[in-house]
Amino acid sequence: MDQSEAFERDLAALLPRLRRFAYGLSRAPGDADDLTQMTVERALRSRDQWQPGTRLDSWLYRVMRNLWIDTLRARGRAEQREGTAEEAESVGHDPVPGIEAAIDLRRVMLAMDRLPDEQREVVALIMIEGFGYREAADMLGLPTGTVSSRLVRGRTALLALLGEA
Amino acid sequence: MADEKFFAWLDGELTGADAAEVEARVAADPALRKLADEHRALAARLRSAFDPIAAEPVSLAAYAPAPASNVASLAGARVARDRPFTQRFWAQAAAVAVVFAMGVATGDRMLGGPAGPIAPEAGRLVAAASLKQALYSQLASQPADSGPRIGLTFRDNEGRICRTFTDQAAAGLVCREGGDWRVRAIFQAPEGQGGDYRMATGADPRLAALIDSTISGEPFDAAQERRARNSGWK
Repeated sequence: MDQSEAFERDLAALLPRLRRFAYGLSRAPGDADDLTQMTVERALRSRDQWQPGTRLDSWLYRVMRNLWIDTLRARGRAEQREGTAEEAESVGHDPVPGIEAAIDLRRVMLAMDRLPDEQREVVALIMIEGFGYREAADMLGLPTGTVSSRLVRGRTALLALLGEA
Repeated sequence: MADEKFFAWLDGELTGADAAEVEARVAADPALRKLADEHRALAARLRSAFDPIAAEPVSLAAYAPAPASNVASLAGARVARDRPFTQRFWAQAAAVAVVFAMGVATGDRMLGGPAGPIAPEAGRLVAAASLKQALYSQLASQPADSGPRIGLTFRDNEGRICRTFTDQAAAGLVCREGGDWRVRAIFQAPEGQGGDYRMATGADPRLAALIDSTISGEPFDAAQERRARNSGWK
């Protein structure tokens, strides 16, 4: 297998996780799939920028996060928030077996939507994607202490929004 | 104790003496114990809500752009990507007898009563329960094991999203109108081809001709189809 095939194979293997991160960042299924597609396109086009031997997942998450920031900037806040709650209604790709999970995903996404962007990305990377503080800080280009304090604020707000249920 | 330190402990980020110190304080303080439990439950809930997304099978092909060779534009890439699919699609010709088509409001008589895929509603034929569910949620790239199967999705020249479907007895075309799937055409399979047999999607040449006369642009690819579903087929 040549290097290019190996890259595509590894990218394909990481795609489900990337898509989950896209849902965490964008809170709307339509946006999440667009963001995933943009990330795949960018990754394939810019694959030379990834250094073999470094973690591909961190690189891809960083690409996705930067594309999302660009998207938010391009749209402006007002438009970006519009319709999110309604779109989240249509979460539920698997309406028969996954209905409970889909309903809870919708609730969680609505709560995530209330967080400031900088708290949401930290919550998504650490609490949903399972990265360590240090890994998340490296991806975001932030000091670990900043990541840590954003995480405290984000999860405290989420607990208040979602309650104990 | 700073909040940051408490949560770093909760997330397994502390080691050695730091971890032991927080652990001892939490053990001695019912309020901290309660806080730790609440936040553990929150973390578990986030993971269980989002993990099904990562468990869904997705292919790189559905998200990757078309190969750029020999095409000079994105639109060109789309056409290049869709053409083989479209050809293959219409090539699946199977024998289908046309019972009737277009705008006939006698759904019950045609497709076996209330359990059939279509039903009359306010003088119009619309998709009934099982077909409606399939039209709303199914992607052609991820066909269901049973029940109706969705074929092509496209936008017609009046801007409506239309989808073709097949099930045991019939193939047809529906378009999204006013929150319903309105039946534009339906073709019944020949006698004796019910049961487990499902017609090849889009097999009928008259359905093909109808699509050709109403389609605007090319059929949706997998990513467009998914996006259309996620925005409620608007």
